[in-house]
Amino acid sequence: MSERRVNRFVSDLLRGRRPKRFRVEDPEAAEMRAAITLRAARPGAGTPREEFVTDLRRRLAEHVASQDEAGPDAAGPELAQPIPFRRPGELSRRRMVATTGIAAGAAAIVGAGAEHLIDGPAPEPPLAGSGPEQTLEPNVGQWRTVAASADLPEGGAAGFDLGTVAGFVARQNGSVEAVSAMCTHLGCKLALNRPAQRLDCPCHNTSFALGGQLLRHQLPIAPPPLPKFHVREENGTVQVFAPPEA
Amino acid sequence: MPHTRLRLVGDDAYPDWEAVYQDNVDRVYGMMFAKVGNRADAEDLTAEVFLAALGPLRVSATVGEVRAYLSATARTVLAGHWRRHYGREITMLAELPEVPAPVPDDDVDGDPPVPAGAAAAAEAAELLSGLPEKYGQVLRLRFLQGYSVRDTAAALGISVSNAKVLQHRALRRAAQLMEEVAP
Repeated sequence: MSERRVNRFVSDLLRGRRPKRFRVEDPEAAEMRAAITLRAARPGAGTPREEFVTDLRRRLAEHVASQDEAGPDAAGPELAQPIPFRRPGELSRRRMVATTGIAAGAAAIVGAGAEHLIDGPAPEPPLAGSGPEQTLEPNVGQWRTVAASADLPEGGAAGFDLGTVAGFVARQNGSVEAVSAMCTHLGCKLALNRPAQRLDCPCHNTSFALGGQLLRHQLPIAPPPLPKFHVREENGTVQVFAPPEA
Repeated sequence: MPHTRLRLVGDDAYPDWEAVYQDNVDRVYGMMFAKVGNRADAEDLTAEVFLAALGPLRVSATVGEVRAYLSATARTVLAGHWRRHYGREITMLAELPEVPAPVPDDDVDGDPPVPAGAAAAAEAAELLSGLPEKYGQVLRLRFLQGYSVRDTAAALGISVSNAKVLQHRALRRAAQLMEEVAP
């Protein structure tokens, strides 16, 4: 069993595919490391694709613009008052983005109004919201089943309530992720918006991606992304690591 | 303070976030690919690093500080990737992989002195040199040269199924070797 998973990981690397996710056991880790070391040594492996570099530059421009709109408080966690990259006489970042954004489809700005649209409608991969991404690590926890693997096809999502915690699981790009169902603003319970593939807060029009990233909000300060759960698939079930029933 | 030089050295500041990005995207991607071994994850993690780091960066930060901050962010992002998707950290970025600021006199235009692939190639070469010849051959063909199993079998004059078995055994041995070398 364990050998099969590693073999699949290795063959994914060799075929240039994103490897499947799984809970790694000890003997597997060493072989994965060896495979990664060898695969990374292929000539040219460490050089990014030009399309990727260009596309990420565009996404960063949108990200910078959204931070501008959200104000300094919404910026990263490291410094209380980050000084934006702008010097007197330079184009404002928003203006710069407006120009570069037109070519790239300025989805992040169009129609934003008072809303802080952190990400355009493109589903993958969402931009980072403010604040660090946190994973829930309960002092006492156990693997608890929240769905059958068969009920969670690619692109599928489902809510769960374990009493002690509630959340959503989703399978995207071959990997399963689980996030909290509580809005990080004031704790309202998020609703799964299946057509839009996102989680909506009923209180203040805040939305999160199924992976927990902030998509939009109307708040003076951007709320942090949703906490994640550790998640695994075992014997045809999807399990999250959560506190036991109270 | 040097003002007129256009190339970037450790004490200079970047003019804007785009300069930060252009100067560091190759390096961050190279670091990530060396630790995940596939393009899709390396791209996602590179994006995550820049998206996470851009907010906190100050315009006054020096090139050296920015690179150090990006490296620290990359370490955190990589650790999160493994824990989130695999339940544990499979590979880690070393604490101080920091490329020293280029020496002004012989560095032509701010390129990192060590190409991203060089360290990975050296590590793999050392690993392969510690293996029996057949093991080294099969791993070199499959991983470094991108041969299919079929082509590998032909090159080694063995059957396809034997090539598969040989690859598995070779990789297992390589893994053991790495474990022994690792602290």
